[in-house]
Amino acid sequence: MKIAVILRQVPDVVEELVIAADGRSLAEDEVTYITNEGDEHALEMALILKSRQAATVTAVGVGGDEARDALATAVAKGVDEALFVPVPFEHRGDNHRLAAHLAPAIKSAGYDLVLTGVWAADQLDAGLAGLLAVHLSLPYVGGLTSVAAEPAGDKATVRKEFPGGRLGIIEVSLPAVLGIQSAEQPPRYASVSKVSQAKRTMQMKELSGPLPNVEGVHVSKLMKSETGVKAEMLSGDVERVADGIVRILRERGVV
Amino acid sequence: MIPREVVVVAEHMAAELSDVALETLACAHELAFSLGWHVTCLILVDDPKPFQALPLASDRTLIVTDPALGSFNPAAYTRVLLHLLKDLSPRLVLLGNTSVGMDLAGPLSIGLGAPVVSGCTRVRAEGERLLFTSKLCGGKLLAQSEVRDGLAIALLMPGSYNREIGMLDRVPRVDVQASPVPLETLPLRFLELVEPKMEDVDVTKVPILVAAGRGIQSRENIEAMESLAKALGGAVCATRPVVDQRWLPRTRQIGRSGMTVKPRLYLALGVSGAPEHVEGMKDSELIVAVNTDPDAPIFDVAHYGATVDLLELVPVLTERIKALRGE
Repeated sequence: MKIAVILRQVPDVVEELVIAADGRSLAEDEVTYITNEGDEHALEMALILKSRQAATVTAVGVGGDEARDALATAVAKGVDEALFVPVPFEHRGDNHRLAAHLAPAIKSAGYDLVLTGVWAADQLDAGLAGLLAVHLSLPYVGGLTSVAAEPAGDKATVRKEFPGGRLGIIEVSLPAVLGIQSAEQPPRYASVSKVSQAKRTMQMKELSGPLPNVEGVHVSKLMKSETGVKAEMLSGDVERVADGIVRILRERGVV
Repeated sequence: MIPREVVVVAEHMAAELSDVALETLACAHELAFSLGWHVTCLILVDDPKPFQALPLASDRTLIVTDPALGSFNPAAYTRVLLHLLKDLSPRLVLLGNTSVGMDLAGPLSIGLGAPVVSGCTRVRAEGERLLFTSKLCGGKLLAQSEVRDGLAIALLMPGSYNREIGMLDRVPRVDVQASPVPLETLPLRFLELVEPKMEDVDVTKVPILVAAGRGIQSRENIEAMESLAKALGGAVCATRPVVDQRWLPRTRQIGRSGMTVKPRLYLALGVSGAPEHVEGMKDSELIVAVNTDPDAPIFDVAHYGATVDLLELVPVLTERIKALRGE
């Protein structure tokens, strides 16, 4: 079985996000990148599948130079091949363009499964996996928390999340593109020494060339959410905050 | 002039419309009412009966039936919707920003040659332009975008509109038709719907919840949360990343794919307030949030907030509560 996993670099939302002077994008120099969380889970799912049956896993690292580091980590975790897809800053998060760019390379490699996160932190349009599936003429389902492939490799059984803790069990004909919500176990760690070794020894291919010109959604204005407007903030050290919380709980009759 | 059309693709499960379907109808109704546009609510099902007499805020409810539409199947939905939407040629198609809407957005976008705007909290029209406000980057940013002409597809964040406006005091025109396209050979087959198991604590019934977010940092710190919850007479619940790490069982997850709760107290510790989490707890009677990041969106919905280190706060707070209760 041949599996591809797409790993996108997205802004780390735990860090401060600075809006650029144009008022429509993030300030490039201020962004800290991390691998999209759903994509990390997709990678874990691929490695779980590989542990269950004969499979080769290709990691496709999308973004700036940070994507090369993500690929080294993926190799250290156990993927077999690494493909770097450089994407200029202004086109990151544009899934329509990205899907059109990735589709020919993914099609020619003939994967049985293409996995990626169902959602990316920086996306404003449709999810990458669903768009990619249309370009590849493959079935797509997303929001998955488990994937079990048949030994014959012609179908997989997946679990899809619905609101209220419900799960749908769905059979998918392969090849297919799947949008992963979370893997069956937390993403594994790769030791620093293994990552360093992978950086030195891995053979990384590169998908070069300009991104296709695809008409997408244009952001006219980017703003920070109006944070802190509603909550009444309790100031002071831990002792004072604890006193403040206890006072509120007593006033409200909670304790 | 023929009025422009807004089509709502209504989500449903187990023979009931989902809350997000009514919220999406509320959005469509608000938009269409002021402009004199026409709202069609599309419901794709196997059995039309539960949906035929609903007083939905649409001008017309179109129920499309086929045995393959009994449960959500993205391949079946896509086939039917591509066919119907080409016929209806709407200006706007509204879906929920959910596990259902997200499956359909890509295929519909390319199939109909229309842009998709996801994460929408607000949709407006100015003349011919459709204007969208969306949440980005875990709710920390808001993006405004516009589609000047032609069809647009929008995914609406659950909880953005009042679902009560999605119903009116009359039943609109209801048409029932068989699927216009054959759905026998599909690459996806829905096998079974699994209801959540409730052998653990039922967080929807606990009046006081201590919510553990990513900021609790490690599994070892759950114990301190448990002690605080016990002192308060409540239980510990969690955000998705905490559950994905297996620090707490899935039954404790609050948010879009977990539980929706309305406790008397929701004490959010190290919770950033990503939109999909906020959906599940925003109607709590009292929300107190502690997060070291002053920009965390949880402070938008919290009544009270603090930016101290929660790992230092929790033992102090637990002792204060215990002392108060004379323990």
